[in-house]
Amino acid sequence: MDQSKIPVDLLLENLAEDTARGEELVERASQILLEPLDTDIATTPYDIVYEEDRVKLKHYRPVTDAAIKTPLLVVYALINRETMLDLQPGRSVVQTFLKGGIDLYMIDWGYPTRKDRYLTIDDHVNGYMDDIIDVILNKHGLKQINLMGVCMGGTFSLIYAALHPEKVKNLITTVTPSNFDTDQGLLHIWMKNLNVDRMVDAFGNIPGDMMNFGFLLLNPARLMIDKYMGFIQHMDNKKFVENFVRMEKWIFDSPDVPGETFRQFVKDLYQQNLLINNKMEMGGERVDLTKITMPLLNFYGHYDHSPSHCREESVRNSRCRLRADTKKRRFLSPSGTRNGVGASGERRRMAPLSSLRDTQAR
Amino acid sequence: MNDTKETRPDTQSLLEAWMKNAAEFWETAARMWPDAAEKMGLKGRTFDAWDSALETWQAMAAVMSEPGATEGLFKGINTVPSVLVKMIQPALHCVFQFQLEWMERASRIGKSTTAYTFENLDQEAFKAWKELYEKEFQRFLKIPQLGLTRVYQERMNEVTDKLNVFEAEMGEFISILYLPVEKSFNVMREELNKMAESGELPQRSVDYYRIWIKILEGHYMTLFKSPEYNRALAKILDALGEYTLAREEILQDTLKLFPLPTYKDMDELYREIYLLKKRIKELETKDRQRSRPDDT
Repeated sequence: MDQSKIPVDLLLENLAEDTARGEELVERASQILLEPLDTDIATTPYDIVYEEDRVKLKHYRPVTDAAIKTPLLVVYALINRETMLDLQPGRSVVQTFLKGGIDLYMIDWGYPTRKDRYLTIDDHVNGYMDDIIDVILNKHGLKQINLMGVCMGGTFSLIYAALHPEKVKNLITTVTPSNFDTDQGLLHIWMKNLNVDRMVDAFGNIPGDMMNFGFLLLNPARLMIDKYMGFIQHMDNKKFVENFVRMEKWIFDSPDVPGETFRQFVKDLYQQNLLINNKMEMGGERVDLTKITMPLLNFYGHYDHSPSHCREESVRNSRCRLRADTKKRRFLSPSGTRNGVGASGERRRMAPLSSLRDTQAR
Repeated sequence: MNDTKETRPDTQSLLEAWMKNAAEFWETAARMWPDAAEKMGLKGRTFDAWDSALETWQAMAAVMSEPGATEGLFKGINTVPSVLVKMIQPALHCVFQFQLEWMERASRIGKSTTAYTFENLDQEAFKAWKELYEKEFQRFLKIPQLGLTRVYQERMNEVTDKLNVFEAEMGEFISILYLPVEKSFNVMREELNKMAESGELPQRSVDYYRIWIKILEGHYMTLFKSPEYNRALAKILDALGEYTLAREEILQDTLKLFPLPTYKDMDELYREIYLLKKRIKELETKDRQRSRPDDT
């Protein structure tokens, strides 16, 4: 390298300034970090209206008159927690829904323990989900519900809608994997070679920390280095620190995934791609996606490579396999999964108020 | 070595003297035994058991006090170290050879690949270590165990073996995971060269960091899609699973000693509860369907 062309004097001068600024920043940051911080998440009031084993049904208290009569059930993934949708006041999908007059229910899958290791996807979809939907339908005296699935919960919702189409009025899938035969997302590549039997036999349930480590490896430069560099640069900003800690709380709040569900998800979906080919079986019944005839709204992230990956080609493929007369809309977010659900811009666009209103007259 | 030779006859004579004394002791004891037993009031099975044991000790002591027996015993003892040396020598030889090869190969890791490519990584060093382990060390852990505790000994060996394999895989995985960091510094240096030539070098340290993190991210994205990384990831997860299973077996054995349920016990119970709940749910559904007025 031509040493003479490096502006060493300027660099050192800037470095000295940076150091001085750094000292001030650390002093301000230490005051903030030692103060009480508001880092609570999922603070929107709700009632638990149904419980089965570890699973709970949350019903959010309305803040305005119902604009949409059909209640909406949100099904989150088994990986991470549904609290993502209600991270903080003013930055909450839940609150956007409530302000829009949606009667909102959400499944809290809880924290699986060793006794849950034998639970399959069938137990979650035809068991817990179906029971919960029956509870809501009975309570409201309705025959159909609006169903929204996020990430893995979206896959569960697709399966549910195919098996019980008569109970779903509108289906919304958000960052939902449906076609797994792709090398676009890293998880799709990694899962292909995974000896899932050995993992499930060894661990029973797949530890949440192990899953989270896998997610960090999706982009270690950003998620393990740059993210915390960003924190250091802004740690003298109280709001920034509070939001950062809230996100950290959510990201590392990872329940274990029931072993048999994980085994089935990896084998049937990631490795054999049975769902999109209408070959997946659930409780002795074939999951036929052509039975999804209700209106479908699909959200997906452009840079998504997490399990909730659902790129355009995947959607296109899944659309090919859905009935031609299904009313479909899709929305492409320029972000990834975690940002796709949590970012403020996406949050407003993701609340499918207009879509639900469109079909209200049906 | 000379000292050893000189002391050996002394040790032998000492042992012979001790053997002779032992034979005389047991002979005397055997002679006195009937009177002593009578005074102690020993009768029946107890007397017979002591009588038999004394006779056995007397016979053994008499045989061992023969001059030829001591010599034989020494011969046997002397052969033990030579057998051990014969067993260990090839393994040690391999270790030295391996160390030389490993140092040579380890220095080549990652050097043979260019920036943003991770194909054909030179992972011979890890392969060599695994081969050496499998050929020269693993077989010691696979020696069949005998006796009452053979199952437990085998499990201990198994867990040691699986831990070694896991650590070997972990070494390979970590080295692959570190490659992008190394490569990013190389690319960074090249980038800075280019910038220096065109006079566009950043003046703020944060800009240097931003260039580096972008390069690092690019390298990781390329690495994670490579078959080499995917193989290493699959192997480490597999090795971790096998080690965990082997460790669980040991834990099960330990827990059995305490009044605590093991994972196996609990898993059996959980499975039974799971199946029972499913069965009850099915019956409830059938019952509901049967009792619906429109179905009748």
